[in-house]
Amino acid sequence: MAVLCSSSTVILPTSSVKSSGCERKSPFLGFSLTAISKPSVRVGIYANSKRGLQVKCEAEQTTTTSLVPANQRWMFDEEEANGPDIWNTTWYPKASDHVNTDKPWFVVDATDKILGRLASTIANHIRGKNLASYTPSVDMGAFVIVVNAEKVAVSGKKRNQKLYRRHSGRPGGMTVETFDQLQQRIPERIVEHAVRGMLPKGRLGRALFNHLKVYKGPDHPHEAQKPLDLPIRDKRIQLQK
Amino acid sequence: MTRIKRGYIARRRRTKLRLFASSFRGAHSRLTRTMTQQRIRALVSAHRDRGKRKRDFRRLWITRINAVIHEMGVFYSYNKFIHNLYKKQLLLNRKILAQIALLNRSCLYTISNDIKK
Repeated sequence: MAVLCSSSTVILPTSSVKSSGCERKSPFLGFSLTAISKPSVRVGIYANSKRGLQVKCEAEQTTTTSLVPANQRWMFDEEEANGPDIWNTTWYPKASDHVNTDKPWFVVDATDKILGRLASTIANHIRGKNLASYTPSVDMGAFVIVVNAEKVAVSGKKRNQKLYRRHSGRPGGMTVETFDQLQQRIPERIVEHAVRGMLPKGRLGRALFNHLKVYKGPDHPHEAQKPLDLPIRDKRIQLQK
Repeated sequence: MTRIKRGYIARRRRTKLRLFASSFRGAHSRLTRTMTQQRIRALVSAHRDRGKRKRDFRRLWITRINAVIHEMGVFYSYNKFIHNLYKKQLLLNRKILAQIALLNRSCLYTISNDIKK
Protein backbone atom coordinates (compact mmCIF):
# COMPACT_ATOMS: atom_id res chain seq x y z
CA MET A 1 0.00 0.00 0.00
CA ALA A 2 2.89 2.34 0.62
CA VAL A 3 3.81 2.33 -3.06
CA LEU A 4 0.46 3.82 -4.03
CA CYS A 5 1.10 7.10 -2.19
CA SER A 6 4.06 8.82 -3.67
CA SER A 7 4.88 11.28 -0.96
CA SER A 8 4.19 9.36 2.20
CA THR A 9 7.06 9.47 4.61
CA VAL A 10 5.69 7.01 7.15
CA ILE A 11 5.14 3.39 6.19
CA LEU A 12 1.46 2.71 6.57
CA PRO A 13 0.05 -0.42 8.09
CA THR A 14 -1.04 -2.47 5.14
CA SER A 15 -4.72 -2.87 5.70
CA SER A 16 -5.90 0.24 7.43
CA VAL A 17 -5.92 3.04 4.86
CA LYS A 18 -9.21 4.41 3.66
CA SER A 19 -8.30 5.71 0.21
CA SER A 20 -10.71 7.72 -1.83
CA GLY A 21 -9.33 7.18 -5.32
CA CYS A 22 -8.33 3.54 -5.28
CA GLU A 23 -11.40 1.51 -4.40
CA ARG A 24 -10.45 -1.00 -7.01
CA LYS A 25 -7.39 -2.29 -5.22
CA SER A 26 -7.67 -1.33 -1.56
CA PRO A 27 -9.91 -3.00 0.98
CA PHE A 28 -12.45 -0.55 2.35
CA LEU A 29 -12.60 -0.40 6.10
CA GLY A 30 -15.15 1.17 8.31
CA PHE A 31 -12.91 2.95 10.81
CA SER A 32 -10.78 5.94 10.13
CA LEU A 33 -7.07 6.10 10.47
CA THR A 34 -5.48 8.07 13.26
CA ALA A 35 -1.84 7.63 12.18
CA ILE A 36 -0.35 10.47 10.17
CA SER A 37 0.52 9.64 6.57
CA LYS A 38 1.53 13.02 5.14
CA PRO A 39 3.20 15.89 6.99
CA SER A 40 0.92 18.35 5.20
CA VAL A 41 -2.29 17.09 6.83
CA ARG A 42 -0.89 17.20 10.34
CA VAL A 43 -2.65 20.46 11.17
CA GLY A 44 -6.06 19.39 10.01
CA ILE A 45 -5.91 15.83 11.26
CA TYR A 46 -8.39 16.35 14.09
CA ALA A 47 -10.79 18.24 11.89
CA ASN A 48 -10.71 15.51 9.24
CA SER A 49 -10.56 12.51 11.52
CA LYS A 50 -14.28 11.88 11.27
CA ARG A 51 -14.02 11.34 7.52
CA GLY A 52 -10.70 9.61 7.72
CA LEU A 53 -7.70 10.45 5.67
CA GLN A 54 -8.17 10.94 1.95
CA VAL A 55 -5.19 9.59 0.18
CA LYS A 56 -4.71 10.88 -3.33
CA CYS A 57 -3.12 8.22 -5.45
CA GLU A 58 -0.98 8.96 -8.46
CA ALA A 59 -2.61 9.78 -11.74
CA GLU A 60 -1.43 6.58 -13.39
CA GLN A 61 -4.01 4.57 -11.48
CA THR A 62 -6.81 6.00 -13.60
CA THR A 63 -5.43 4.82 -16.97
CA THR A 64 -6.65 1.47 -18.22
CA THR A 65 -4.31 -1.44 -17.79
CA SER A 66 -4.31 -4.28 -20.21
CA LEU A 67 -5.39 -7.05 -17.77
CA VAL A 68 -4.09 -9.95 -19.80
CA PRO A 69 -5.68 -13.26 -18.70
CA ALA A 70 -3.35 -15.68 -17.01
CA ASN A 71 -3.24 -18.29 -19.74
CA GLN A 72 -2.18 -15.71 -22.38
CA ARG A 73 0.58 -14.06 -20.41
CA TRP A 74 3.30 -16.02 -22.18
CA MET A 75 2.61 -14.15 -25.44
CA PHE A 76 3.46 -10.73 -24.04
CA ASP A 77 6.50 -9.03 -22.61
CA GLU A 78 6.47 -7.81 -19.04
CA GLU A 79 5.81 -4.18 -19.85
CA GLU A 80 3.03 -5.05 -22.30
CA ALA A 81 1.17 -7.37 -19.98
CA ASN A 82 1.24 -5.18 -16.88
CA GLY A 83 1.49 -1.76 -18.43
CA PRO A 84 -1.08 0.45 -20.13
CA ASP A 85 -3.29 -0.99 -22.83
CA ILE A 86 -1.56 -0.33 -26.16
CA TRP A 87 -3.80 -2.51 -28.33
CA ASN A 88 -7.28 -1.22 -27.58
CA THR A 89 -6.42 2.49 -27.42
CA THR A 90 -5.52 4.12 -30.71
CA TRP A 91 -1.90 5.17 -30.76
CA TYR A 92 -1.22 8.88 -30.40
CA PRO A 93 2.32 10.21 -30.78
CA LYS A 94 4.22 11.50 -27.78
CA ALA A 95 6.54 14.49 -28.02
CA SER A 96 9.54 12.22 -28.52
CA ASP A 97 7.89 10.63 -31.58
CA HIS A 98 7.99 13.78 -33.67
CA VAL A 99 11.25 15.53 -32.86
CA ASN A 100 12.34 17.56 -35.87
CA THR A 101 15.94 16.43 -35.63
CA ASP A 102 15.00 12.78 -36.07
CA LYS A 103 12.84 13.20 -39.14
CA PRO A 104 14.11 11.88 -42.48
CA TRP A 105 15.13 14.24 -45.26
CA PHE A 106 14.44 13.54 -48.95
CA VAL A 107 15.82 15.05 -52.16
CA VAL A 108 14.01 15.31 -55.48
CA ASP A 109 15.42 16.50 -58.77
CA ALA A 110 12.61 18.40 -60.48
CA THR A 111 14.13 18.24 -63.97
CA ASP A 112 11.42 17.33 -66.51
CA LYS A 113 8.92 16.23 -63.89
CA ILE A 114 5.28 17.12 -64.28
CA LEU A 115 4.57 19.89 -61.77
CA GLY A 116 1.30 18.68 -60.26
CA ARG A 117 2.29 15.05 -59.90
CA LEU A 118 5.57 16.01 -58.27
CA ALA A 119 3.83 18.42 -55.89
CA SER A 120 1.33 15.73 -54.92
CA THR A 121 4.05 13.24 -53.96
CA ILE A 122 5.97 15.90 -52.06
CA ALA A 123 2.89 17.00 -50.15
CA ASN A 124 2.12 13.42 -49.15
CA HIS A 125 5.59 12.94 -47.76
CA ILE A 126 5.62 16.26 -45.94
CA ARG A 127 2.27 15.55 -44.32
CA GLY A 128 3.27 12.04 -43.34
CA LYS A 129 0.43 10.27 -45.13
CA ASN A 130 2.72 7.45 -46.25
CA LEU A 131 3.49 6.45 -42.66
CA ALA A 132 1.59 4.17 -40.33
CA SER A 133 2.09 6.76 -37.61
CA TYR A 134 0.08 9.39 -39.53
CA THR A 135 -1.82 11.70 -37.22
CA PRO A 136 -3.78 14.64 -38.65
CA SER A 137 -3.12 16.92 -35.69
CA VAL A 138 0.62 16.30 -35.39
CA ASP A 139 3.49 16.98 -37.75
CA MET A 140 4.83 13.49 -38.42
CA GLY A 141 6.09 14.01 -41.94
CA ALA A 142 9.55 14.34 -43.41
CA PHE A 143 11.55 17.21 -44.87
CA VAL A 144 11.78 17.45 -48.67
CA ILE A 145 14.41 19.29 -50.71
CA VAL A 146 13.68 20.12 -54.35
CA VAL A 147 16.60 20.98 -56.64
CA ASN A 148 16.65 22.20 -60.24
CA ALA A 149 13.31 23.87 -59.64
CA GLU A 150 13.61 26.00 -62.76
CA LYS A 151 13.49 22.86 -64.95
CA VAL A 152 10.10 21.61 -63.76
CA ALA A 153 7.80 20.77 -66.67
CA VAL A 154 4.14 21.14 -67.48
CA SER A 155 2.19 19.43 -70.22
CA GLY A 156 0.14 20.98 -72.99
CA LYS A 157 0.16 24.74 -73.52
CA LYS A 158 0.38 25.53 -69.82
CA ARG A 159 3.80 27.01 -70.18
CA ASN A 160 2.34 30.06 -71.91
CA GLN A 161 -1.24 29.83 -70.70
CA LYS A 162 -1.18 28.95 -66.99
CA LEU A 163 -1.72 32.10 -64.99
CA TYR A 164 -0.45 32.91 -61.53
CA ARG A 165 -2.46 35.62 -59.86
CA ARG A 166 -1.79 37.63 -56.74
CA HIS A 167 -3.58 40.58 -55.20
CA SER A 168 -2.02 43.25 -53.06
CA GLY A 169 -5.26 44.00 -51.18
CA ARG A 170 -5.75 47.45 -52.73
CA PRO A 171 -8.26 48.12 -55.51
CA GLY A 172 -6.77 47.43 -58.89
CA GLY A 173 -3.96 45.53 -57.27
CA MET A 174 -4.26 42.24 -59.13
CA THR A 175 -1.09 41.08 -60.83
CA VAL A 176 -1.28 38.29 -63.38
CA GLU A 177 1.75 36.39 -64.65
CA THR A 178 2.12 33.43 -66.95
CA PHE A 179 4.01 30.30 -66.03
CA ASP A 180 7.11 31.12 -68.04
CA GLN A 181 7.24 34.73 -66.84
CA LEU A 182 7.25 33.51 -63.24
CA GLN A 183 9.80 30.89 -64.11
CA GLN A 184 12.12 33.62 -65.45
CA ARG A 185 11.59 35.74 -62.35
CA ILE A 186 11.40 33.43 -59.33
CA PRO A 187 11.40 29.74 -60.33
CA GLU A 188 11.18 28.44 -56.76
CA ARG A 189 7.80 30.05 -56.30
CA ILE A 190 6.20 27.74 -58.87
CA VAL A 191 6.94 24.57 -56.92
CA GLU A 192 6.17 26.28 -53.61
CA HIS A 193 2.80 27.52 -54.89
CA ALA A 194 1.92 24.05 -56.12
CA VAL A 195 2.85 22.28 -52.89
CA ARG A 196 1.24 24.90 -50.68
CA GLY A 197 -2.05 24.36 -52.46
CA MET A 198 -1.86 20.66 -51.64
CA LEU A 199 -1.00 20.96 -47.96
CA PRO A 200 -3.74 21.54 -45.38
CA LYS A 201 -4.65 25.18 -44.78
CA GLY A 202 -4.28 26.16 -41.17
CA ARG A 203 -1.69 26.52 -38.48
CA LEU A 204 -0.33 23.04 -38.94
CA GLY A 205 -0.35 23.39 -42.74
CA ARG A 206 1.68 26.55 -42.55
CA ALA A 207 4.15 24.84 -40.25
CA LEU A 208 4.35 21.89 -42.66
CA PHE A 209 5.12 24.22 -45.54
CA ASN A 210 8.33 25.18 -43.80
CA HIS A 211 9.52 21.61 -44.22
CA LEU A 212 9.77 22.14 -47.98
CA LYS A 213 13.05 23.53 -49.27
CA VAL A 214 13.20 24.51 -52.96
CA TYR A 215 16.38 25.52 -54.74
CA LYS A 216 17.14 26.81 -58.21
CA GLY A 217 20.31 25.01 -59.20
CA PRO A 218 21.49 21.47 -58.72
CA ASP A 219 22.97 21.88 -55.23
CA HIS A 220 21.47 22.49 -51.81
CA PRO A 221 22.98 23.44 -48.45
CA HIS A 222 21.57 20.45 -46.56
CA GLU A 223 24.30 17.86 -47.14
CA ALA A 224 24.68 17.49 -43.37
CA GLN A 225 21.16 16.07 -43.09
CA LYS A 226 22.13 13.21 -45.48
CA PRO A 227 18.96 13.35 -47.54
CA LEU A 228 17.73 10.20 -49.28
CA ASP A 229 16.10 10.02 -52.69
CA LEU A 230 12.38 10.63 -52.56
CA PRO A 231 10.60 7.38 -53.55
CA ILE A 232 8.16 8.24 -56.33
CA ARG A 233 5.40 5.77 -57.15
CA ASP A 234 3.74 7.75 -59.91
CA LYS A 235 4.68 6.36 -63.30
CA ARG A 236 3.49 9.35 -65.30
CA ILE A 237 5.53 11.93 -63.41
CA GLN A 238 8.32 12.08 -65.96
CA LEU A 239 7.61 14.31 -68.95
CA GLN A 240 7.15 12.23 -72.12
CA LYS A 241 9.15 13.71 -74.97
CA MET B 1 -48.08 42.01 -1.71
CA THR B 2 -45.28 41.39 0.76
CA ARG B 3 -41.79 41.81 -0.48
CA ILE B 4 -40.17 38.49 -1.41
CA LYS B 5 -36.50 38.23 -2.15
CA ARG B 6 -35.36 35.45 -4.40
CA GLY B 7 -32.65 34.61 -1.93
CA TYR B 8 -29.95 32.22 -2.95
CA ILE B 9 -31.79 30.27 -5.64
CA ALA B 10 -30.17 31.98 -8.59
CA ARG B 11 -26.78 32.00 -6.91
CA ARG B 12 -26.85 28.24 -6.39
CA ARG B 13 -27.67 27.69 -10.06
CA ARG B 14 -24.96 30.06 -11.18
CA THR B 15 -22.34 28.45 -8.94
CA LYS B 16 -22.84 25.18 -10.76
CA LEU B 17 -22.55 27.04 -14.02
CA ARG B 18 -19.36 28.69 -12.85
CA LEU B 19 -17.84 25.35 -12.02
CA PHE B 20 -18.69 24.03 -15.46
CA ALA B 21 -17.22 27.02 -17.27
CA SER B 22 -14.24 27.40 -14.95
CA SER B 23 -11.68 26.37 -17.56
CA PHE B 24 -12.92 28.61 -20.38
CA ARG B 25 -10.90 31.43 -21.79
CA GLY B 26 -11.31 35.10 -20.86
CA ALA B 27 -14.77 36.49 -20.28
CA HIS B 28 -16.27 33.06 -20.98
CA SER B 29 -15.32 31.98 -17.48
CA ARG B 30 -15.99 35.25 -15.69
CA LEU B 31 -19.23 36.83 -16.88
CA THR B 32 -22.45 35.03 -15.95
CA ARG B 33 -24.49 35.74 -19.05
CA THR B 34 -21.63 34.80 -21.36
CA MET B 35 -21.02 31.68 -19.31
CA THR B 36 -24.58 30.46 -19.84
CA GLN B 37 -24.25 30.88 -23.58
CA GLN B 38 -20.85 29.23 -23.76
CA ARG B 39 -22.01 26.34 -21.61
CA ILE B 40 -24.82 25.66 -24.06
CA ARG B 41 -22.41 25.77 -27.01
CA ALA B 42 -19.97 23.50 -25.21
CA LEU B 43 -22.65 20.92 -24.49
CA VAL B 44 -23.91 21.07 -28.08
CA SER B 45 -20.40 20.52 -29.38
CA ALA B 46 -19.88 17.63 -27.01
CA HIS B 47 -23.14 15.98 -28.08
CA ARG B 48 -22.46 16.39 -31.77
CA ASP B 49 -18.83 15.30 -31.50
CA ARG B 50 -19.69 12.14 -29.59
CA GLY B 51 -21.23 10.97 -32.84
CA LYS B 52 -18.42 12.43 -34.93
CA ARG B 53 -15.78 10.77 -32.77
CA LYS B 54 -16.77 7.38 -34.05
CA ARG B 55 -16.48 8.59 -37.65
CA ASP B 56 -13.20 10.40 -37.03
CA PHE B 57 -11.45 7.44 -35.54
CA ARG B 58 -12.57 5.14 -38.33
CA ARG B 59 -11.18 7.63 -40.83
CA LEU B 60 -7.88 7.71 -39.02
CA TRP B 61 -7.60 3.92 -38.91
CA ILE B 62 -8.38 3.65 -42.60
CA THR B 63 -5.73 6.24 -43.49
CA ARG B 64 -3.13 4.50 -41.36
CA ILE B 65 -3.88 1.09 -42.84
CA ASN B 66 -3.85 2.55 -46.36
CA ALA B 67 -0.43 4.08 -45.77
CA VAL B 68 1.11 0.74 -44.86
CA ILE B 69 -0.72 -1.27 -47.51
CA HIS B 70 0.47 1.02 -50.29
CA GLU B 71 4.06 0.10 -49.53
CA MET B 72 3.31 -3.54 -50.15
CA GLY B 73 2.99 -3.53 -53.89
CA VAL B 74 2.51 -1.22 -56.82
CA PHE B 75 -1.18 -1.80 -57.41
CA TYR B 76 -2.17 -2.77 -53.88
CA SER B 77 -4.37 -0.53 -51.82
CA TYR B 78 -6.71 -0.40 -48.84
CA ASN B 79 -9.81 -1.27 -50.80
CA LYS B 80 -8.29 -4.40 -52.30
CA PHE B 81 -6.97 -5.40 -48.89
CA ILE B 82 -10.41 -5.07 -47.30
CA HIS B 83 -11.98 -6.96 -50.18
CA ASN B 84 -9.56 -9.82 -49.63
CA LEU B 85 -10.29 -9.74 -45.91
CA TYR B 86 -13.98 -10.07 -46.53
CA LYS B 87 -13.50 -12.82 -49.05
CA LYS B 88 -11.58 -14.88 -46.51
CA GLN B 89 -14.16 -13.95 -43.85
CA LEU B 90 -11.54 -12.53 -41.52
CA LEU B 91 -13.27 -10.50 -38.83
CA LEU B 92 -10.46 -8.15 -37.82
CA ASN B 93 -11.76 -4.60 -37.55
CA ARG B 94 -9.99 -1.50 -38.77
CA LYS B 95 -8.97 -0.38 -35.30
CA ILE B 96 -7.02 -3.54 -34.58
CA LEU B 97 -5.61 -3.59 -38.10
CA ALA B 98 -4.31 -0.05 -37.66
CA GLN B 99 -2.74 -0.93 -34.32
CA ILE B 100 -1.13 -4.01 -35.85
CA ALA B 101 0.17 -1.89 -38.73
CA LEU B 102 1.85 0.39 -36.23
CA LEU B 103 3.08 -1.92 -33.52
CA ASN B 104 3.71 -5.21 -35.30
CA ARG B 105 4.27 -4.48 -38.97
CA SER B 106 5.53 -7.94 -39.90
CA CYS B 107 2.32 -9.46 -38.56
CA LEU B 108 0.32 -7.31 -40.95
CA TYR B 109 2.52 -8.43 -43.84
CA THR B 110 1.80 -12.05 -42.90
CA ILE B 111 -1.92 -11.42 -42.78
CA SER B 112 -2.01 -9.65 -46.11
CA ASN B 113 0.13 -12.24 -47.86
CA ASP B 114 -2.11 -14.98 -46.55
CA ILE B 115 -5.29 -13.35 -47.78
CA LYS B 116 -3.86 -12.47 -51.16
CA LYS B 117 -3.63 -16.14 -52.05
